[in-house]
Amino acid sequence: MDTSLFLVQLLNGVQYGLLLFLIASGLTLVFGVMGILNLAHGSMYMIGAYLAYYFTTLTGSFFLAFIISGSIALLIGIVIERFLIIHLYKRDHLDQVLLTVGLIFIFNSIQSFVWGNDPLGVEVPALLSGSIKLTDIIEYPIYRLFISALCIVVAVSMYLTINKTKLGMMIRAGESDRAMVENLGVDISKLFTIVFAIGVFLASLAGIVSAPIVSLVPGMGEHVLISCFVVVVIGGLGSIKGAFVAALIVGIVDTYSSVLLPQISSMSIYLLMALILLVKPQGLFKN
Amino acid sequence: MSNILEVHGLQTLYGASHILHGVSFDIKAGETVSIMGRNGMGKSTTLKSILGIAPPRSGSVIYKGEDITRLPTWKRMRQDIAYVPEGRGMFHNLTVKEHLLMAARKNSRGEANWTYDQVLEVFPRLIERLTNKGTQLSGGEQQMLAIGRALLTNPDLLILDEATEGLAPLIRKEIWQVIRKIKDSGVSTIIVDKNIKVLNELCEMHILIVKGKVVFNGDSETLNENKEFIEQSLAV
Repeated sequence: MDTSLFLVQLLNGVQYGLLLFLIASGLTLVFGVMGILNLAHGSMYMIGAYLAYYFTTLTGSFFLAFIISGSIALLIGIVIERFLIIHLYKRDHLDQVLLTVGLIFIFNSIQSFVWGNDPLGVEVPALLSGSIKLTDIIEYPIYRLFISALCIVVAVSMYLTINKTKLGMMIRAGESDRAMVENLGVDISKLFTIVFAIGVFLASLAGIVSAPIVSLVPGMGEHVLISCFVVVVIGGLGSIKGAFVAALIVGIVDTYSSVLLPQISSMSIYLLMALILLVKPQGLFKN
Repeated sequence: MSNILEVHGLQTLYGASHILHGVSFDIKAGETVSIMGRNGMGKSTTLKSILGIAPPRSGSVIYKGEDITRLPTWKRMRQDIAYVPEGRGMFHNLTVKEHLLMAARKNSRGEANWTYDQVLEVFPRLIERLTNKGTQLSGGEQQMLAIGRALLTNPDLLILDEATEGLAPLIRKEIWQVIRKIKDSGVSTIIVDKNIKVLNELCEMHILIVKGKVVFNGDSETLNENKEFIEQSLAV
């Protein structure tokens, strides 16, 4: 592999890692704060992508579709938490699995019913199409750089919200002792709705921005969910910092292995997970 | 003086075990009241029933003339009640400063009698510990933080459960001094503790709970008159 290919793959790996972080951060946030393992998290990614397809086709503008789809995702998150997840807080994990797996089936049926099973695609918006010259011989698609930049903006905003704002302090406190948060006069159920809606929004956002670079196929949510679990387990369940580091590692390992060792690339991230768990059974950043 | 709190016939169960058997008492606005009793007699459960953490099966809680028996805990707290639980309720992932900032709010009338700076003035020990996590503090410091955090919600009624338990005598003294200061500021306070001597001098009214029932309710003078009975009830 020459240097330029190495660099392009590094950029691809980082971009894929950042996208994985976007999805995994929502999964780990919801688990860390609310103790809910949302197996339908990948479905939110899928729904985001299909919504982006639908509204881009409808309005002719990807950016308009971006805003509409993002708002719908937030709404879906609020509705699912208020009407379904709310019944899980005092139940055990098996009930969480049953409900959220049920949601996967429902969202897959909706997807199949509304959009059919043929692969679909979204065009890269004109404003972000084309490539940028990084060096004399390396070009890189602008849209992929846009995705990375957006993910970084989201990561920084999340970091600031969680570490510097009162809402973030309450969210963290809820992670530590939710009864005490309530004792301080905080409406924990509203806090949970906000956190869950943010989680759904982050997964859908990843789906929306991925739409122009992936093909939209049934089952795309499950595939991404499994990669997310690898990220969350490596990073340490509930740790957002862990999810960030793990997502970058997984993104880079996955990308390089598919170029350098295509024979084992489909199992590379699981091998990585196994190795890390041997050394750190709780993941990299478990409290 | 009007009653800030009226508790009528609380019957509370934990699963199958019947803990409170009709607990009733009143607290006047501005009063400092002790609740005494041996372990397992229902003191903490009484507090938790008042706050909705252990909802009573029957009975009622009237706060500032309004029936709050069915309100969720957080809504009661929003009406200017603050609670320092046994065990202090520290957050392992928040710094001392964050504990105070996340709780701070004006009371329901929009007043802030306690500010961040004032709390640190009362608990200067916390100043050196601002960047430490809540669970990294000593027991005494945790207690100070728990009380400081409660004060920053600007309560009219402060409920302290075992605020001096397991602390060194000097720290204990410091905590009592602060509670005296809170009392002087006019906040109504309910204190669950075992130190009769301090409670006798600090509180206007005293409640003794034995096996889920109020067996004594009177002022310090009456308490002294019945000292033998009280001490007998508290002895293990």
